[in-house]
Amino acid sequence: MRVGIVGAGFMGTTHLAGWAETNAQVVGLVAETVEEARPLAAQSGVKIYPDLAALLPDVDVVDICTPTHLHYEMVLQAAAAGKQIICEKPLSRTVEHGQAMLAACSAAGVRLLVAHVVRFFPEYAQAQKLVAAGQIGRPGVLRLARGSYRPKKPVGNWFLDERKSGGILMDLMVHDYDYARWIAGDVDSVFARKIRLEENASVDYALVILRHRDGALSHIAGAWAYPPPTFRTRFEIAGDAGLIEFDSDDTAPIKNLILKSAGADAPDVALPSSPTSENPYTTQIKEFYNAITEDRPARITAGDGLAAVQIALAALESAETGRAVRLDPLAEVQP
Amino acid sequence: MKIGVLSFAHHHAEAYIRNLHELSGVELAGVADEDAERGQRFADQYAARYYPSYIDLVEAKPDGVIICTENSKHRPLVEMAAARGVNILCEKPLATTLEDARAMLDACQRAGVLLMTAFPMRFSAPLLSVKSRLDAGDFGKVHCFNATNQGELPTRHRQWFVDPELAGGGAIMDHTVHLVDIMRWYLGSEVSEVYAQSNHIFHAREVLVETGALEMLSFQNGVFATIDASWCRPPYWPTWGGLTIEMVTERGAVIVDAFKQNLTVYSHQWQRPLWYYWGSDANQAMLAEFIAAIREQRQPMVTGMDGYRAVEATVAAYQSAQTGQPVRIG
Repeated sequence: MRVGIVGAGFMGTTHLAGWAETNAQVVGLVAETVEEARPLAAQSGVKIYPDLAALLPDVDVVDICTPTHLHYEMVLQAAAAGKQIICEKPLSRTVEHGQAMLAACSAAGVRLLVAHVVRFFPEYAQAQKLVAAGQIGRPGVLRLARGSYRPKKPVGNWFLDERKSGGILMDLMVHDYDYARWIAGDVDSVFARKIRLEENASVDYALVILRHRDGALSHIAGAWAYPPPTFRTRFEIAGDAGLIEFDSDDTAPIKNLILKSAGADAPDVALPSSPTSENPYTTQIKEFYNAITEDRPARITAGDGLAAVQIALAALESAETGRAVRLDPLAEVQP
Repeated sequence: MKIGVLSFAHHHAEAYIRNLHELSGVELAGVADEDAERGQRFADQYAARYYPSYIDLVEAKPDGVIICTENSKHRPLVEMAAARGVNILCEKPLATTLEDARAMLDACQRAGVLLMTAFPMRFSAPLLSVKSRLDAGDFGKVHCFNATNQGELPTRHRQWFVDPELAGGGAIMDHTVHLVDIMRWYLGSEVSEVYAQSNHIFHAREVLVETGALEMLSFQNGVFATIDASWCRPPYWPTWGGLTIEMVTERGAVIVDAFKQNLTVYSHQWQRPLWYYWGSDANQAMLAEFIAAIREQRQPMVTGMDGYRAVEATVAAYQSAQTGQPVRIG
């Protein structure tokens, strides 16, 4: 299986490391500019292609790790060429784009695997298994929190451009919308507030309340507000027969009290890290690899990716209008 | 200085009596309870004089009374004590309706007696520490709060906490007011809007009232905040529940866990870990303030109006939970 990676930023680099643990060959790399792809290409020995169109004839799978607003056209292009697709989260910047992407992949008969990596983090995966096995009964209230500092970028910080990334309510918190759905099912109303960018705030922070269709409630907090290199995740799933609590701070197996050397800096984009024998990003790529080669379902469907986008857009709308937003059930799509 | 305790319906009455014993120059004037058996039992336990009726105790002219009836039964005792010129510390929530809360404020104002709402968290050492650093400008401007006041089903203490008539509701009525009060105190701004969602999943077969609740408040100064008021802690959690606030400011975030100061104790006796709180007793400081306000003939740090404002937000939360949309206040 030949894989092409589109996007040579943080995620492209991370996915490349994951593919190295499979039998697939990463044969090409596309970045916004050839210059941008050079460091990663040099390090991995992967060939640089000028654009996606040039890459397509040489690959079976396209792994899209570009900024969110670019996913739509790239997925359509890859689907039209009959390629299997892996797409970073969030699936798309709008629901309409996401629906069109699902329809295109379905029509082309190709997979669309959305990289909601949180489902592959062992703490989140294990909690989901416990809930699914009925260990804490019916979920009643979920609290999910994810916090770090504002992502940086050497040039053109698309993370902070809401038109491109959807900002914190979409780019960061979509992880937890997806997880909330995995645990407690479809969502029917969304209420959100965030620190307004026009206030020239030095920090981003947003709070979202979801009501799930079967009555469970989710509280989701997202922070780009903490001092680097903080990356803290927490969750609490309270059920009618038990409770699961997780805090990345409390469960960190190593406390680092080493004096900082001069010039030591936090990475551009914070990633959670609790040492495990396999990096969750690698677990994810392996599962996607197997899903494609063995034609098996993965733990996330394209429909899940779309549903998380729908929640994110409702959260953006609610934060803008100050009203609770009701979600229409999404049409059943079978990608 | 003599203080009377009216009713043991709320279990805090027991703690308050122990707190009163610690205060110098303060004497327990006596206790009264409409439940004669309960009143007599606690009177014996604390070697206090038992009055068979609330009026008898109030007419013995204590300097102040602490009212610990069920939530919806605060008003008649506040009105009765105020009419007799006795200062009042009233258990939270001040009332279950705005009409009752307003009538209580009016009665105390007319009579010229002090009305203090029992919001002990105003006297919590960790919360006071953050408040003083906030006031000193250490954190800069506040953007928002992410707060929890979660607990176990309170029926372990008293059954009436889940009686809609006596308690005025469930988790929302029980666990909204403390945080509303802390946020108003921190910000010096009033709640302008409340959104709430509630459900009935925890203890669904045992109680009729809501047991899960999430709320989003807006303040007049633009700050927003969530409150998790849920009774989501299982009875075998290491303690009754807790109160936490993440305060996000222009300089980052401060996370306060007001009941974090615990020992974790493992004993053959319980076969599960328990948290033993060793932090300072906020109730003690709250009662000291009530006594000081009476002595100095000044308003207490927490007033009846503070209690009213918290009830206002709570009532709005119930309205919002009905309609599914935010409810404006004022």
